[in-house]
Amino acid sequence: MAGSPELPRRSFLQTLALASAGLLGSAAIARSGRLLGGTVPRGPEDPEIPNEEVARIYRERFGGRTITRAHVQLDMPAVAEDGRIVPVIIESDLPMTADHYVKGIHLIVDHNPDAHLAGFYLTPAVGQVSISTRIKMKRSTWVRAILETNTGELWADYAKVLVTLNGCG
Amino acid sequence: MAGIGEARIRVPDRIAQGDIITVNSIVSHPMDTGFFRTKDGDPIPAYFISDVVITYGGDEVARFEWTSGISRDPVVTFTLKADREAPLAITWKDNKGGVYSQSVNIAFARA
Repeated sequence: MAGSPELPRRSFLQTLALASAGLLGSAAIARSGRLLGGTVPRGPEDPEIPNEEVARIYRERFGGRTITRAHVQLDMPAVAEDGRIVPVIIESDLPMTADHYVKGIHLIVDHNPDAHLAGFYLTPAVGQVSISTRIKMKRSTWVRAILETNTGELWADYAKVLVTLNGCG
Repeated sequence: MAGIGEARIRVPDRIAQGDIITVNSIVSHPMDTGFFRTKDGDPIPAYFISDVVITYGGDEVARFEWTSGISRDPVVTFTLKADREAPLAITWKDNKGGVYSQSVNIAFARA
């Protein structure tokens, strides 16, 4: 950052511009949110479903089931300077026993070309839910980690990540 | 890292039976998204690992479904309940038919 003093100022101005545009467009956004919300299950604390692609992932992967923000910890940097390498850590306190376990973790990056970035499918043999990797991010967006248990419950955590350098091309 | 598909798995030096251990892995792969071009302007086709299968003593314990959104030279860290002495193997498959494997032996430390 020290080498490019213009950058923070520029992104601040962009944020400001986006914020004011957002005020003007909020009615339209609220309408489209309702339209998408009609077919997509969303918990009260979930971020807005931003586009048809994420809505499609929700429909296909989670059907009409409720997703609750609990039991999951999604650790990501608040600011990712290089979108080509963004660390992700997903952990959960949910049990990993033969009767009750997390069978899948879905990592969704709202504005990436492949929004469903990865699925991690587990068995009780892993002992606990703790996965880390490094991902690419195209731009600033919400990231969602949604866990599905063997009994069909859905638990999630979300992280808003600011991306300085596009990592997807 | 060197050639495509070269892989390493790291587990703790001393493992006791029943420990939940952390497994670190890395595989060398470009993970091209298909959105970039070479310096001459030619498109670089998508080339990425799409499937990862982890077995312990021959039993599948986890399976990952990836896109080119995973960073170049993919690293992934996960846990394993070390309840028996057996090989832990990871197989990475890419979208062009490449299959790469690596394994380590899970053995318990003697007192």
